[in-house]
Amino acid sequence: MFFIPGPVIAALTFPGVIIHEAGHLFFCRLFKLHVFNVCFFRFGNPAGFVVHEQSEDFTAQFFVSMGPFFANTLLCIIFCSAAFLPVWELKIYDPLAYFFYWLGLSIGMHAFPSTQDLSHLWEKAPALAKKGNPLAVLSLPLAGLLVVANYARVVWADLGYGILVGVLGPIAIFKALAH
Amino acid sequence: MSEATCSACGQQASVKSLFDLNGQTYCQPCVRTASESARRSGQPSIYMPLISRSICARCNTFIGSDSGGLQIGGARFCSNCAPLIKDWDYPVWLKASLAFLLLLLAVALVHGRKYFHAGRAMYIGERLVQQGKYAEALPQLKETLTIAPGSDKASLLAAKAALMIGDVASADKALHDHDDGHYEDGQNAQFLEVNALWDRANQAFEKASQAAKLAQQDGNSAEAAKLMHVAASLYPQRPDFAFAAESLDGGAAFERRDFDSFLAISNKQWKEEPDSDTAAQLASAFACKFALTGTIDSRQRAEEMLDKARQLAQSDPETLKSIEEYAPRIQYRLDSRKIITKTEYDRLFRSRKSSAK
Repeated sequence: MFFIPGPVIAALTFPGVIIHEAGHLFFCRLFKLHVFNVCFFRFGNPAGFVVHEQSEDFTAQFFVSMGPFFANTLLCIIFCSAAFLPVWELKIYDPLAYFFYWLGLSIGMHAFPSTQDLSHLWEKAPALAKKGNPLAVLSLPLAGLLVVANYARVVWADLGYGILVGVLGPIAIFKALAH
Repeated sequence: MSEATCSACGQQASVKSLFDLNGQTYCQPCVRTASESARRSGQPSIYMPLISRSICARCNTFIGSDSGGLQIGGARFCSNCAPLIKDWDYPVWLKASLAFLLLLLAVALVHGRKYFHAGRAMYIGERLVQQGKYAEALPQLKETLTIAPGSDKASLLAAKAALMIGDVASADKALHDHDDGHYEDGQNAQFLEVNALWDRANQAFEKASQAAKLAQQDGNSAEAAKLMHVAASLYPQRPDFAFAAESLDGGAAFERRDFDSFLAISNKQWKEEPDSDTAAQLASAFACKFALTGTIDSRQRAEEMLDKARQLAQSDPETLKSIEEYAPRIQYRLDSRKIITKTEYDRLFRSRKSSAK
């Protein structure tokens, strides 16, 4: 396994960082949470952040924490789908397609929420899950998996996720369309 | 150093020495009295150093008694930061980038329509190949290859579909239009499968070609039939190989003078594929039967089939020429009731004519 410093990876995939933080900001605005500070991209750790008010509403907390995961995943599929056929299946050299593939993979790579984002959910989810809150029930295994995935970033789990979503997503879409 | 005024006694003092109670500033002596008074009247009585309540938690500006600020929990924000915190807007560059990306995506989708079309055709073709519907799959895959001849997957699928329906020319085109037949992964299962099919088809064509050459010489029909049967078993997707092998079996039966078998085979072939060739062969078989038995019915059938062969060959000058070469030999057999080979016939009649010329 080869090591590339985080800031270098972040710089190479900066659109993903920006989209991730824009996702946090979008959901903060949607749930009318106060935002204290936003950094869309910087050369540092973390590469971006949104400092916001903590909400007592679990739904708001769920979407603010997990929203970027869903948004980045969806955008990764969309951008990779625009490029998937010429790049992977048809073997046509099209610079625009390669640009979209880089963009899609960059976005997919930064889908994982940070451990800090997940910790807020992790605190409240068990009690609410017992009461039958569907988002809490969903967030328990999801947050658990994502915590593990976050630690697995050292072995490129984030890139692996981007590739998985950016390849399997378009394949599923196009095969479904072919039916 | 910043100073502020105690709201109770009006004395000015350093911000560091003052306190905040329910939004009012007090000096140390006054804050205790104000706290006691607040407690008695049921208001919050906890006070804290002004310094921690008078600095904006975001920009560190001194707030003082700024009424336009915002308080969230223990943190206060100045009137400049408050609107930002309440409604943090997306920066202009972010909105512009998003708009540009959406525009680019729209361009890519319009520009990529041909790819979607080719991809869809390929996936439909792939599904049809998996279902064994090779004839239906081939046009779809050919459509993909017109846009993406370099696609390994599409060309291998097209070659497989073509080979499975015996269309070697289409398979050859699909394979050789793809980077002159070079593929990225020579160990790929799909490549190996197509390669094996291609090799078998080529071997079959080689055997069929040898069989055809042998069949042109008298007395070699049995050997030719054997080779053609090998070709048919190597490449069963070409039913014409099996048909040609059966036809050569008929020729071999003629050569060993088993005219009943020759007639049975010729009759079967005519029923399966009624064309000028099978009609001519059946005419030959009935002529043999007449030569042996002298039955008028056999002679009539031979003449009928010969006419039929001529009629069916009208549209094809090449076939008509071949029938015109064949017909005098059959007629000789009917007239003389002698069964001779082409070589013998040529020696008796045609070489004499050519030397006379």
